[in-house]
Amino acid sequence: MADLTLDHVSKFFDDGGSKVVAVDDASVTIEDGEFLVLVGPSGCGKSTTLRMIAGLETVSEGEIRLGDDRMDNRPPRDRDIAMVFQSYALYPHMTVRGNMRFGLEESTNMADADIDELVEETSSMLGIGDLLDRKPGELSGGQQQRVALGRAIVRDPEVFLMDEPLSNLDAKLRSQMRTELQRLQEDLGVTTVYVTHDQTEAMTMGDRIAILNDGELQQVATPLEAYHRPANRFVAGFIGEPSMNFFEMDVQGDELVGDAFSYDLSAKSAEAVEGSERVTLGIRPEDVEVIGDAAADHAYETTVDVVEPMGNENAVYLDLGGERRFVATVGGMRRVEAGESVVARIPEDAVHLFDATTGETLQNRSLESADLDAPEANL
Amino acid sequence: MSVRDDLAERVGVDLEAVDPLRVALYATLVGLVAFYLSPLESGLMTALKTEAEFATSPPFVPPTVEGFTLEPFGVALDTLSSAILNSIMLAVPATVLSALFGSFAAYGLTNFEWRGQLGVVALFIAGIFIPYQAVLIPLSRLWAIVDTQSLLAPVLDITVFSAQVPVLGTVELATHPHYASIINLIITHTAYGIPITTLLFRGYYKKLSTEMLEAARLDGAGAFTVYRRIVLPLSMPMFAVTLIYQFTQVWNDLLFALIIIPSGSGPAAVATIALNELTGGIIQTFNTQMAGAFVAALPTLLVYVLFGDKFAKGVAGNT
Repeated sequence: MADLTLDHVSKFFDDGGSKVVAVDDASVTIEDGEFLVLVGPSGCGKSTTLRMIAGLETVSEGEIRLGDDRMDNRPPRDRDIAMVFQSYALYPHMTVRGNMRFGLEESTNMADADIDELVEETSSMLGIGDLLDRKPGELSGGQQQRVALGRAIVRDPEVFLMDEPLSNLDAKLRSQMRTELQRLQEDLGVTTVYVTHDQTEAMTMGDRIAILNDGELQQVATPLEAYHRPANRFVAGFIGEPSMNFFEMDVQGDELVGDAFSYDLSAKSAEAVEGSERVTLGIRPEDVEVIGDAAADHAYETTVDVVEPMGNENAVYLDLGGERRFVATVGGMRRVEAGESVVARIPEDAVHLFDATTGETLQNRSLESADLDAPEANL
Repeated sequence: MSVRDDLAERVGVDLEAVDPLRVALYATLVGLVAFYLSPLESGLMTALKTEAEFATSPPFVPPTVEGFTLEPFGVALDTLSSAILNSIMLAVPATVLSALFGSFAAYGLTNFEWRGQLGVVALFIAGIFIPYQAVLIPLSRLWAIVDTQSLLAPVLDITVFSAQVPVLGTVELATHPHYASIINLIITHTAYGIPITTLLFRGYYKKLSTEMLEAARLDGAGAFTVYRRIVLPLSMPMFAVTLIYQFTQVWNDLLFALIIIPSGSGPAAVATIALNELTGGIIQTFNTQMAGAFVAALPTLLVYVLFGDKFAKGVAGNT
């Protein structure tokens, strides 16, 4: 067992003579037994990164190491990894047993009886013990998913790679498998790299998440750290549902002036934005307070445009006038009607400030607990 | 009550509701069936008649009791048996080899990425469009230069096979010079079959899941193992298609046989050539010719019956 290290890894594709950068200088160390989620929008290079670790794509620059062993030059079969694909990629002409045996038959010298025992053991652990003699075509999506997992687990590899393994399941089954997969990974303690575009999966499953955009690693952090202390505007906008609200504003002394409203800054925040001419103010929907009167600090008159009731909470789309909308979430029991005039307060301690040009974080929200500052904190 | 109404009532059909267009359609269909089946029916009836009966009755009329005979089939079998054996010795290996090589080539050309791949695919496709007539002279020159018989003498210089086979009589596969010609034909047909079989397999292999093949690679299987354990078992429907197609092509071929088999006949003659021996010289013996045609067509028919359901699956692209 060892750490998996990506050391300045890049991947270039040749697209009719022009060089396309799919992954740009990504460095991350995945600790032994860690569950790392690679997340990002479509085409951000997350699958390419995973395929480079698997050996299905060559590495253009940089190194991939398992412990101290360099593995980016080895063929896939010599890397001691197992991968679960989005389409499950089961062998349709083989039974479940055949599918699970295949990897052991091809990559080890184990005796038939030992292979059988291992397959039986793994399949009963996954609850597919009674499906061993069926073919993949006779199984439901969820069962196929378990077979695909079983095929990876039975090989007892150093690293699991998972490429959006849950995205073909329906919502209910997906959340169930999410929990189950997490528990399995914890029990097995195998280093796992999990690719998804679903930020719920990223937040709930990973020990750490690595956010990628346009082939560049934006931030590697625990889920809560990425949520509360995003490294830049992209991470702030990508993590969280509904997304963080952003307002582009000019810096004028200790005041931010935007199209819709002006915002006074405390001395500390003013210091943070010093040197920037234009900044982006970010506020998470749950931090926007919908209150009755406009007398408070940082409170603005708005009109309710649309209300999306979720049961536990309502997403309220507020109009600041002139088609400038932002979203706030309020408790599910609170009645808010479209067309109603309300006052929205944007408390300063919850505000994130980003440089408008580079997107870099100038100041994150303040937190009552100092937990997030300590990297080893149990979140 | 008119006769028409009375009839309608008795058969329970409202004749007014019968669409004349439908009647015309079915009449045309029945006519077409008769048109296409009549040569076959006439052939079969002719093959079951004595020559005297054939001379006195129209070809499509079934034989009378005294005019009925199975003798033409006996004559045809006697004449064709060794040629049919030659045809089997030719068609089976040529079919299997061209399907297998086509499958290999398609796997290498479809499921792997390498430089210049498309150029090679283009060459394979070009191979399909080379007319046989254009290669006749080069082919005959080639096989005049390559002396397969002496090349294979050390291998073939044994009695391969000798047995009593019902219907065909004593069958002996021993060292005869004519096997060299059959081997030449096998090689030629295999070579000319590879482009089309490659194209058929390529279409099929393109639809195989890339992720599945990658999963097999990650599971530790090399390129050949992936072929043997994953691709080959999944190609069975396409093998049925190519086997039927190639078998029919090779079995029915006359042109290459005439070019490659010396003097066009002799002990190496295949069924299509030997059929000519049933013409009976000046007096045409139509009954034996027809019987011969049926005997010669039987193996292709059998192949269709054996692989028909898989053929349909392969054509439908069902994996």
